[in-house]
Amino acid sequence: MIDLKLDNVSKKYRIWQEEATHHAGLLRKIRRRLGGGNEFWALRGIDLEVKSGETLGIIGHNGSGKSTILKLLSRITAPTEGEITIRGRLAALLEVASGFHPELTGRENIFLSGTIIGMRRREIHASLDSIMDFAEMRPFIDLPVKRYSSGMFVRLGFSIAAHTQPDILLLDEVLAVGDVSFQRKCMDHIEQLKRKGLTMVFISHDLAAVERLCDRAVLLEKGQIVQEGAPAVLAGQYLTRIDRSEELGEQRESTGPLGLRGLEFLDIDGRSTLQFRTGYALRARVEYDAMIALPAVRFRMLFKGIDGSAQCEFLTGDAEMPAAAAGRGAVEFCCEEIGLQPGIYHVDVLAENEAGAVMDVKRRWAVIHVASGRFTHGAFYSPHSWKLEAAQEAAQGAGEMPRANG
Amino acid sequence: MTSPESAIANETRPVRHVRPPSYNPLGALRAIGELPEYLDLFLTLCLHRASVRYKQSLLGVGWALLQPLLLMAVYVVIFSILVQMPSDGVPYPLFVFAGLLPWIYFSSAVTAATGCLVSHIQIVTKVYFPREILPLSYVIVGLIDFAMASCVLALMMIFYHVRVGMTVLGVIPVLAVETVFVAALSLVFSAIQVRFRDLGLAMPLLMQLWMFASPVVYPMGRVPARLLPWYELNPMAGILENFRRVVLLRQPLDYHLLWISLVISSVLLMASYAYFKLQEATMADVI
Repeated sequence: MIDLKLDNVSKKYRIWQEEATHHAGLLRKIRRRLGGGNEFWALRGIDLEVKSGETLGIIGHNGSGKSTILKLLSRITAPTEGEITIRGRLAALLEVASGFHPELTGRENIFLSGTIIGMRRREIHASLDSIMDFAEMRPFIDLPVKRYSSGMFVRLGFSIAAHTQPDILLLDEVLAVGDVSFQRKCMDHIEQLKRKGLTMVFISHDLAAVERLCDRAVLLEKGQIVQEGAPAVLAGQYLTRIDRSEELGEQRESTGPLGLRGLEFLDIDGRSTLQFRTGYALRARVEYDAMIALPAVRFRMLFKGIDGSAQCEFLTGDAEMPAAAAGRGAVEFCCEEIGLQPGIYHVDVLAENEAGAVMDVKRRWAVIHVASGRFTHGAFYSPHSWKLEAAQEAAQGAGEMPRANG
Repeated sequence: MTSPESAIANETRPVRHVRPPSYNPLGALRAIGELPEYLDLFLTLCLHRASVRYKQSLLGVGWALLQPLLLMAVYVVIFSILVQMPSDGVPYPLFVFAGLLPWIYFSSAVTAATGCLVSHIQIVTKVYFPREILPLSYVIVGLIDFAMASCVLALMMIFYHVRVGMTVLGVIPVLAVETVFVAALSLVFSAIQVRFRDLGLAMPLLMQLWMFASPVVYPMGRVPARLLPWYELNPMAGILENFRRVVLLRQPLDYHLLWISLVISSVLLMASYAYFKLQEATMADVI
């Protein structure tokens, strides 16, 4: 049974250049407003089906048409061509809090926002306690929401949305809600809904969450579906496409005595991959060509976040630098438990001589994806071991083995 | 309904088809069918409109009474003390107050509704619900204010010893016709405002001119006979005139006038609803 069906759906936007019409005559202004403007196809010929109980992930870069699909499905705007068929009650778990009225109390806003997203007053009355408790807002419920902190705002919003009982649920970056423990609560709630057999569409560029939640995913690029398949496979596709679509920095051929030639990421079993998990192993192999024998070389591998901030670095010998023989060689980095948080990272590789001068550099040489692995609070995961000091003889042996947390 | 539902359907869940927008009066009828589902939103919005308006304002409900009372005082000074304006044999303050009540219902509801889609931009671009609920909720608020101000009218009638007859029941059809007219304008104006903000800027002026083109401060009997056929095309003329007839003058409804108002208002309502639904489809893109 199919719950959602998009049949050759396209969406065209018009973009007016207001500056250009600023000095234009009134008539031309009106004409432009009614028919003119530059056309822009945000979506083109989308065919998509979501079966009952299935969770579909839609991934793509900013501007690929993800949010347009969401707007079409939630009926905020109508398609320009094609037809969308929706079977059952559909709710979107988006920024529900945006419907809040600042002067009204939290309680009044529960009713306002709840009815806006299609709940009956009766239903809201019935789940009022549960909404307040989920949001952890009971003591503040009769204050006007303009006195709320942004975190309270968002928690109450999510809590209301979480209490709708739709047949189909649209999710959009909801996991960016509130603090870590509330995010966790949201994720648990969503997984619980999934187990209940709710049909879901999840739109995100958080690949880790897509992999975790979705049965199937589509990759959207420039308003078209370019790939469809298992979320893990698509996540990889998505990463290599980032790599290609973005300008690669200084990629000039090296003229120095050492040139970087190849980079490969491997999992613990030596298989090539770009997908890793926080707190698990990562191996990277860099190949190089040395024109002459070099007494000392330092290889550096820098992991940068999507915003360009340096997050972590691997380094060959700090004090004592290895020598490199002339000809083709390779250096392999190995990390048993990576501390990188879930996300996408660009990788820069540098080769320096003993004076610290750069012999070769490859910026944004690869893009890797780190999915959530070992869960910890805080800014980063740090490898650690633990040992339980139990009463004397009972724990002999067991207590001596260091254990990884997980 | 076209073919592709073959694979879908066959269960009790409602199946909905979203298609590109087209101007379709019959489609508008289908849209009405969806409204009962959102009755609760409509009620909640109306409740909250009232409560928001009076929160953090000292006078609270008094605002609903202050506007007609102050305007009445101004017009009494101008048209009763400075200029002798005939008033169908009713004390002028009463005459003008009875005109201001339906007028303020009309002008304040239409003015508030005109800007409402734009002022609710954050909801309109984030959630779907039938958008007409927003402008229509202002119509209800207008009616509530009207009811409160009516109490003042009743007190004034007691003060001036004006008796009420059975004809006062005529208020019901008069108000019904006015509500149809107010709803029609609220829908079409709010939809236009989304594309052309000029309308909102022009509203105070438009309402001012419109008031003097309607029998609010003067009786309709003063309108020259040759202008009357045109004058009567203003639905507010028939509404205001009939309101005074049944409330103050104990006369039966002027059906000729009321019919004109009703026909114009109803046709306008149908056309503006279809227009509204057409605009609604892409409202979130242009707002």
